[in-house]
Amino acid sequence: MITGTGVVKTFKQRGKVLGAREVRALRGVDFSIPKGGAASFIGESGCGKTTLGRIIAGLESYDEGEIVIDDVPMTPLRPKQRQPHFRKIQMIHQDPYSALNPTRTIHQTLYAPLSLRAKQTGRSAAWIEERAAEVLSLVGLDPGTVLGRYPHQLSGGMRQRVVIARALTVDPEMLVADEAVSMIDVSLRLGILALLKDLRERLGVSVLFITHDVATARYIGDDGELYVIYRGQVVERGPVDTVIADPVHPYTQSLLSAIPVLHGLERPGEEPVTPLSSLDESQSDEGCLFARRCPFQGERCADERPLLQLTEGVPQEHACFYPERRSVIARPMSEV
Amino acid sequence: MSNQAPGVRIDGLTVVYKTPAGELPAVRGVTLTLEPGSITGIVGESGSGKSTLALSLLNAVQPPGRIAGGSVEIDGLGDVVGLRGEELRKARGKHIGYVFQAAQNSLNPLKTVGKQLLDLGRSHGVDDLRGLVREAKELLGRMGLDGARVLDSHQHELSGGMRQRVGIMLALVLNAHLVVLDEPTTALDMITQANILRIVREVHAERGLTTLVITHDIGVVAEVADRLAVMYGGRLVEQGPTREVLGAPRHPYTRGLIQAIPRLTGDIDEARALPGRPPTLVTVPKEGCVFRERCELRMDVCDTVDPEPVADGPRLVACHAVNSASASTTVATKEHA
Repeated sequence: MITGTGVVKTFKQRGKVLGAREVRALRGVDFSIPKGGAASFIGESGCGKTTLGRIIAGLESYDEGEIVIDDVPMTPLRPKQRQPHFRKIQMIHQDPYSALNPTRTIHQTLYAPLSLRAKQTGRSAAWIEERAAEVLSLVGLDPGTVLGRYPHQLSGGMRQRVVIARALTVDPEMLVADEAVSMIDVSLRLGILALLKDLRERLGVSVLFITHDVATARYIGDDGELYVIYRGQVVERGPVDTVIADPVHPYTQSLLSAIPVLHGLERPGEEPVTPLSSLDESQSDEGCLFARRCPFQGERCADERPLLQLTEGVPQEHACFYPERRSVIARPMSEV
Repeated sequence: MSNQAPGVRIDGLTVVYKTPAGELPAVRGVTLTLEPGSITGIVGESGSGKSTLALSLLNAVQPPGRIAGGSVEIDGLGDVVGLRGEELRKARGKHIGYVFQAAQNSLNPLKTVGKQLLDLGRSHGVDDLRGLVREAKELLGRMGLDGARVLDSHQHELSGGMRQRVGIMLALVLNAHLVVLDEPTTALDMITQANILRIVREVHAERGLTTLVITHDIGVVAEVADRLAVMYGGRLVEQGPTREVLGAPRHPYTRGLIQAIPRLTGDIDEARALPGRPPTLVTVPKEGCVFRERCELRMDVCDTVDPEPVADGPRLVACHAVNSASASTTVATKEHA
């Protein structure tokens, strides 16, 4: 179980000419990912979802708030003491081409973390070989053909599987997959998503999925929680299927409206929402962060910041003064 | 001649790359017509040959690659495969605008956008550089940007979506009427992508263009293209009006590809990945159908004979299984009659 409360992160840039500049990447985010569960962070580029993922994986520090891993709060610990806890959380990066050392065979890639593990637990060299073959089988690769190969001899999908296998060598409790399928060929994407779902079911590994493509978030499990993040704030949250079917925040609605419609196969939603402008970090921090782009801005939005509150009738939360249901997503022709 | 959307006729185009294993075809015997004023989308995975095909429109395939056969006829230009040197350089930019893959990274980091625009103008002998800047500002304004500010910016001061729009501006500013967009939205998030696609559609209509969009994402084609062509292993396996192909795909690869797209609604278990992996230049079969290794309709004939595209109204499919099935039904209906 991994939880976060009020996580704040500010990046400070020290400019020579223009003076110091601050980017508020996260403005007090709460989340909770149960053991074996799934969560997805969605939002545009620059909304803070990747920063949050990196903080959860222990790759980035945070300024305020608390991260608790299996009942142990991280804030009071020194960096060295945090390490064994954050090791339970492994990151799967977007680009499997640069995540593997091109001069090492897959065997060498897996051997390094496994031998460390063997040393810690007093196991034999035979165990290392056995375990290397095991993790490869877990991700759907044939150890016999893959172990001796170099990364350039594998396809993108196979490389991403190797990256996942490497993460599994340390028996993680959670995988953080940051845009893990966006560089994989379309015909193979679902295979990777199905693998993440399968690892959840078989090993009880929880999965945190970070993406700008909401549709892919469904495929790691319909029991997952969806967090819609905008400018460092969670603006809508709930079970993945209900948030997709019943979003009330205009930002969530914008994200869903932007997904291409397969004309001929699907009918577009009747009330698509298009933001008035593009994401601009220099926009005012006053009031609702989305107000300046929101087509439905009301009186309160300019001065007050809405907080997360329960949505009526669904197990969801939203941060909007004027929540309203709108039909934004495309539906299959066959359904109409 | 340059004020009208040109038509393009690609006929029997074959492009080969020199490798240690000899010259291997990245594009093989592709025939495709771009109607004047249409938007055509070419969909394919990595290694399908779609970018090589697009570069052939500019006759810009770089060694070790070369166009080994076929022709690319563009209205007002003739067969670009035969163009050389200065003629070719003039055609690029003036007649054919090209927005390169990852246009976000194809700008010069040391020069402002405005300086690069002036370079472009000078290299194409534009006398009225002020007019060019005016036109550029207008185009950028049309795409929702502050033209003056963008022209004064270096690329690092612009976001991914802004750079992509600068790429489109540079492709159109010399008044080209044939535009090729290679992966116009890769690496952009969904909202920015939707925005760029809307701009592509609107600019296409307003300026009277013939547009070719190359992408791995069927969703992108579904949003903008009138006509869809699917490439696999260097071959065009299916083409037709976008809505018809999406609504009733015929080639088993097209069907698999559409089934493999994560969707917002419907049964999660219905979507599945295609088995196997896309072929590379080296692993693509030398004879027979290029898709047979991953095909569920594979027959004996697929191992030896490469299926030719067969037309059915506005649609073309290159598949033995599909074409023999539809041929036997036509025969059957004829017999009935």
